[in-house]
Amino acid sequence: MWQLTWMLGLLPDWFWALVLIAGVLAVLASFVLKFIPFVSTYRLPLQVGGILALLVGVYFQGVIANEAKWEARVKELEAKLAVAQEESKQTNTVIQEKIVKQKEFVKGKTEYITRYIDKEIIKKEEIVKYIETCPVPKELIELHNSATEMNRAAEGAKK
Amino acid sequence: MKYGILALAFFLSACSTAVPVKQKWPEAPKELLEKCQALQKADPSKPAITDLLKTVVENYGLYYQCSLKVEGWNEWYTEQKRIFDNSNK
Repeated sequence: MWQLTWMLGLLPDWFWALVLIAGVLAVLASFVLKFIPFVSTYRLPLQVGGILALLVGVYFQGVIANEAKWEARVKELEAKLAVAQEESKQTNTVIQEKIVKQKEFVKGKTEYITRYIDKEIIKKEEIVKYIETCPVPKELIELHNSATEMNRAAEGAKK
Repeated sequence: MKYGILALAFFLSACSTAVPVKQKWPEAPKELLEKCQALQKADPSKPAITDLLKTVVENYGLYYQCSLKVEGWNEWYTEQKRIFDNSNK
């Protein structure tokens, strides 16, 4: 059905307005202008043809109005989507920049603390003494290292 | 009768009210798509407390970098959902 409507919809809008007007005129003529010989001879075909033209004309006026309504809706949605896409892009940029900035800060702070340990902490006499006399037991280091692989254990648990 | 129902179904198929406009879900920022780095292990050949401390500090740094990504994902999703919902109103 829509294929038929689509094909007929290819005809220009004014054609359907013309069909509607012709239908109205034909129906009016068949009722009012009975005294004209041509009209009185072909009254029935004029009435039938007129009513058909009227129906088709009204139907396609509806199709045209409906099409216009949907086209307007599509345009409205496209405009909304364009705004949303732009806003979405801007949000992405803001988040990206924020993360990069914060990540750089965390990296910088980590490096600063590590350097501070190497340059300052290590020079303190009590700490040097502590390092010399109290090495961290290997068992504790291994325990620390096994804790860094907790995620692998969790991955195994998932299976 | 069944042909009538089929014909009716065929005609009604033309009554679709879907607007032919598709909304694309946005791509996430590149930074969020990167995996979190693996935590560092302490070197058993360096048993000094300061070396262990440095490893711990570096791991804290890695944790916070990863946590920033998680927070970023939450913010990204919340914002994009708000934009998506607003455009569908």
